Amino acid sequence: MKDKIKDFLETDLLENYLLGTTTELEKQKVERYIAMHPEVRKTYNKLQENLEEFAKSYALKTPEGLKDKIITTIKAQNKTKKKFMSYAIAASFVAFLFAVATYFFYNENKNLQEENSVVTNQIKLLEADMKERLEDVRNQFIVLNNPQTKKFKVRGNNKGKNLKAVAYVNPVKKLSYINLQNLPNLAEGECLQMWAEVNGEMINLGIIKDAGNKDNLLALPYGENAVGYITIEPEGGNETPTVDNIVANISY
Amino acid sequence: MSTLLENHIVELLQERNEKAISLLYENYSDTLYGVAFKVVKNEALAQDVLQESFVKIWKKADTYDPTKAKLFTWLFRITRNTAIDKLRSGKKKIEKEIQIDVSDVYKLGIDGINPDSIDMQENLEKIEDKYRIVLEALFFEGMTQQEASDELDIPLGTIKSRLKIGLRELRKIYVEPIILLILLNLIS
Repeated sequence: MKDKIKDFLETDLLENYLLGTTTELEKQKVERYIAMHPEVRKTYNKLQENLEEFAKSYALKTPEGLKDKIITTIKAQNKTKKKFMSYAIAASFVAFLFAVATYFFYNENKNLQEENSVVTNQIKLLEADMKERLEDVRNQFIVLNNPQTKKFKVRGNNKGKNLKAVAYVNPVKKLSYINLQNLPNLAEGECLQMWAEVNGEMINLGIIKDAGNKDNLLALPYGENAVGYITIEPEGGNETPTVDNIVANISY
Repeated sequence: MSTLLENHIVELLQERNEKAISLLYENYSDTLYGVAFKVVKNEALAQDVLQESFVKIWKKADTYDPTKAKLFTWLFRITRNTAIDKLRSGKKKIEKEIQIDVSDVYKLGIDGINPDSIDMQENLEKIEDKYRIVLEALFFEGMTQQEASDELDIPLGTIKSRLKIGLRELRKIYVEPIILLILLNLIS
């Protein structure tokens, strides 16, 4: 250990450290030695005292006014710093507000965009629905007003005696409609479903829901020598018609 | 060993009390100005250096660690480095302007003795020249030991030993004779 300390003192690390000219690594080494070894610490303190002594021997009277100049400079810098700090605080505050506002508007914009797309979709759906209904109404008008339209009265068979309906078929415009006037009494859990046999294929026309509305015309798919059927089916409808439960057939 | 005054100044510095600057100036400015002048060899430049150093001291006050260096050592480092930087930036300018030979730059010698410092110089004469030249080259000319060796044409080993002896035995070399002189004066 003694040798290690002696070797260390032999180098000029301590002198360089005194002047502040060591590398960071050397600095750490010197500081470790100073902290750990009293002998090194003593030498270092001695060096510091000698440095002060040596430097003092070069002392020169400072010129008049230099002190005031230096103190004024430092005070001015402090003020600028304080000023800068207050500007910095103000700027940070503004930046924070800006960030909050930006986030708020971003969110607002996002919400509005979502709402916008929902509304646009709704408008599109409404438009499509309106077109469909208009087309339907137009067709109904054509069918009912056209002199070439044939009118068939439909009556129910034994299973649905109360059923009364009128079918309108226009072979020129290739349109057919049915107007259900009266529906047969149904047991609970049953419903009426319409079918059409067009070119040998049985097409499901759906469940008759608003049978009460006597003014309503239901569109039927048009086909040469097509046959329409109304059957009683379990509630919710069926995929294929139950032939036994046919209450009416409409040939058109 | 820190004196009470040093402790007081350090406390004020760390509290960022401007009184610290005033006290520092009263107690250290002459020495630091002397150091700056010795490096830059020009009064106006030395004043600039002193001012810049005090600003740095004030700014860096929170980095000063009393357990690692005496207050003066810290002040000296800052002033010395500021002065050497000043000198180098000045030299760069001159080199650009008139392209003087580099060998002229590190000219050593006792040029620029100020009448005010003659008393001090007399004391200093008591350090043997061979040590003084080495110490000055390293402390005030900002040379590395290798540069000093090249410039002074002294082997690197000798530079190292002279630095060591010069600094470590400083008191023996020049303080003791002064004490001796004082004692002799008292006796007579």
